[in-house]
Amino acid sequence: MTIARPQTNAPEFRLLATPLVLFLLVFLGFPALVNLIYSVSEVTFETLRQPRFTGLANFLSVWSDAAFWQASWFSLRFGLLTAVLECLLGLFLAIFLSPLIERRSWLMAILMLPLMVAPALVGLMYRLVLHEFVGPVPYYLWTYFGASISFLGPGSAFWTLVVVETLQWTPFTLLLFYMAYQAIPSEIAEASAMDGARSLQRLWFIELPMMGPTIAAALLIRFIDGFRVFDNVYVLTGSGPGGSTASLSIYIYEAFFKQGAIGKAVAASVVLFVASFAVLYGLNALASRRKGAKR
Amino acid sequence: MGTISLKKAGKRYGAVEIIRELDLEIADGEFVVIVGPSGCGKSTLLRMIAGLEATTDGQILIDGRDVTSASPVDRQLAMVFQSYALYPHMTVRQNMGFGLRLAKVPSATARAKIEAAAETLKLTPLLDRYPKELSGGQRQRVAIGRAIVREPVGFLFDEPLSNLDAALRVDMRLEIAKLHRTLGATMIYVTHDQVEAMTLADRIVVMKDGRIMQQGRPRDLYERPANLFVAQFIGSPKMNLLPCRRDQGDRLDLSGEGNLTLAMPGMAAPEQLGARPEHLALVAPESGHCRGVVEASEYLGGNMSVFVRAGRLGLINVSAPADTPFRVGEAVGIRIDESRSSLFDGAGAAIGAHP
Amino acid sequence: MITILRWFVFAVAAIALNFPVLVTLSTSFKSARELSGNPGLWVQAPTFENYRTVFEVSDRLNIFLYLFNSLTVALMGTVLAVALALPAAYAIARGRIGERTLLPFIVNLRAVPLIIFAIPLYMMFQWLALLDTRLGLGLILTIVNLPLALVILVNAIRDLPAELDEAALMDGANRTQILIKVVTPLCRPAIVTSLIFGFITAWNEFLFGLMLTTSKAVPVTVGASFFFAASGGGVQWGVASAVMIVGALPPMLLGLVMYRQISGSMTAGAVKG
Repeated sequence: MTIARPQTNAPEFRLLATPLVLFLLVFLGFPALVNLIYSVSEVTFETLRQPRFTGLANFLSVWSDAAFWQASWFSLRFGLLTAVLECLLGLFLAIFLSPLIERRSWLMAILMLPLMVAPALVGLMYRLVLHEFVGPVPYYLWTYFGASISFLGPGSAFWTLVVVETLQWTPFTLLLFYMAYQAIPSEIAEASAMDGARSLQRLWFIELPMMGPTIAAALLIRFIDGFRVFDNVYVLTGSGPGGSTASLSIYIYEAFFKQGAIGKAVAASVVLFVASFAVLYGLNALASRRKGAKR
Repeated sequence: MGTISLKKAGKRYGAVEIIRELDLEIADGEFVVIVGPSGCGKSTLLRMIAGLEATTDGQILIDGRDVTSASPVDRQLAMVFQSYALYPHMTVRQNMGFGLRLAKVPSATARAKIEAAAETLKLTPLLDRYPKELSGGQRQRVAIGRAIVREPVGFLFDEPLSNLDAALRVDMRLEIAKLHRTLGATMIYVTHDQVEAMTLADRIVVMKDGRIMQQGRPRDLYERPANLFVAQFIGSPKMNLLPCRRDQGDRLDLSGEGNLTLAMPGMAAPEQLGARPEHLALVAPESGHCRGVVEASEYLGGNMSVFVRAGRLGLINVSAPADTPFRVGEAVGIRIDESRSSLFDGAGAAIGAHP
Repeated sequence: MITILRWFVFAVAAIALNFPVLVTLSTSFKSARELSGNPGLWVQAPTFENYRTVFEVSDRLNIFLYLFNSLTVALMGTVLAVALALPAAYAIARGRIGERTLLPFIVNLRAVPLIIFAIPLYMMFQWLALLDTRLGLGLILTIVNLPLALVILVNAIRDLPAELDEAALMDGANRTQILIKVVTPLCRPAIVTSLIFGFITAWNEFLFGLMLTTSKAVPVTVGASFFFAASGGGVQWGVASAVMIVGALPPMLLGLVMYRQISGSMTAGAVKG
């Protein structure tokens, strides 16, 4: 049946949506406007109310800043790597452990626990875990292997961060995949069993394809979260060593708070803003086109 | 009072017309059933009358008052939904009283009305239960009770029985008919089930593609369908349609498979003869209007459906007494009751002068 | 055999994923002396000394204030987000208002690096004197919580049969009455889920706490890092661990108790996000 399009209610509905729209206009619309103005202005903390128009100078200084490109490269690599690792690990755990979790759902609660802890606190915790004198990881490595490495030193810091992020967010993909796996109707498993599929074949030809949309969604979400990472990286390594672990979020934060380069920070924000929304709306359009094509 | 009239009422979504220039007059106290295949616009029409869908063209009048753009509550109609739409978080009593509460009816008055309605519908012991604790039939009665307490000028039913099982459907059908006699209120009832339409209606409105194909008393529609669509839609099993041609005078040639004589107007050029299975009879091969070979039969208890292959006339369904002796493959004759068959011209319209 | 392997994998995963929490928990019960000699997981002589130290209020460190700040801003950010999202979700789901504009914009907001709004918000808050106030941080956390709350509530309302609304319209209710008397009671599970999830997210937020607060309104995620440089010299790891456990415990407990609701909302966010 057609969905109701009642005649007299449009103004009433608009009224109900108004508070949210006003709130967004004030707390996002206004900042977006400020962003746009400051990004083409020369401004310091002293001259906040008298920005001087400078055209694209801020964007040029971002464009020619090696640190910006280093941060972009870090964010991209970090986002991709952690998303893929989290999905692989989550997929394995979801499928391999599902016979256990099916019967005892509290097991899932234990595995989900890392999601409840603030990433900033997890970052701080790893300062302890990896500490060369009081950290258990170097201690056990010394005890059993007679050697340890400098986890947050140049060369290894990036990989340490990848592992930290992956271990905190694998539960997210695990949960998603577990639910998608459970949602596969048992008739399908039974039908493929009647067709003579062994369990590995069933996994490859039936179950993984059916979980495809969930896997794609998980990859996307985790890439986005990895790309915009701030909390745990910031408290664990700052941006060091030598700016090698500055994500784009950290780059903007430091340009603003540590260097006072308001124009540059804002210009970088605008670039990130436009890029994010372009990518997201592009993906939305693609997804709805696909949905339409299927119908 | 409860007269409802639609004057050239129409409904369109953009370029798509769901209802076109529809005229309908419903008298006070009348029970009108709107039937049609799915997608014919019957539910949309009901919702336009209710005020749940905007009417884009024409007018809707209730008791002579133009309510075309009035809100649902101002039309003083009550509706019983297909899914019952009971509020799951309210008890039966609260469900029935919600409208009264919104209308700020004093609680003593409301209580009396609810209890009176509950009495009529045998819901009194269930008043403090929640919808999820009720059976399908009980939920249906609560939905009707919710409509009754508001004392509307008219009741609207949107396929109210389609979620019930077959046995319960018959019971509820009888209850709704009784309710109509008791309350004497105007009722408009939408269904796709022509048995419900035949049994309940004072008047049936048959719709197709947003238009009224025919309206009238059930018997009129059954015996004198105005066109092929109504002829095929009303009646179960379906009417047989036999291709035919006017020979000369009142003689009708059945595609060379037989002929019969029927009074018809001078200018009429019939192309199909409509005959219901129960108006056909199996006879000896040489004594019928046409002949054929028995292809299959379905035993239905009281009678049986016999399918006869009759050359260019195709497969003909004949209703025969259950004890008729014949064998599949046997040649039989078919006698047509001329007085109860219909003729249709090339455009599908019934040829009028025929009784 | 395979079952034993599954249990083994589960044990390894459970320990590896929760390793930082386990280490911090164990360290928080170690005395400074024990810690220097025993960095392992096992505690030989458990002590509550570190927790005593954490809850000692000084001019520079006030754990009660940080916890109170976190609680207030998280509650505010959560309740306000749901209060704004619920009527809007109803308008989107039933009135089809902003279905193609507002909804995708807010959903995308969840995926946008929030830092891009942080700088102008910082300046705006400076003008409005909202820097270092609980009100200011609560308002920002509302923005953080809005996308998921809206998605959860829109989905919940779409799942309600539209005939209920129509029945209420026939009963003479207007849209606001339907929202309050029919939709809200029926969406209670989704509302509770949004509240729990929003509370955990808001409690765990760090970036805006770091940028917008300095002393009076510092939340515990930021306040915890203050303890790392507490004594001027080296980090007192036992005390730092205790404060991290204290800061992490409320959302962890909430998550453990309510994990069913939370797992549902995560999928909701994922499918539409």
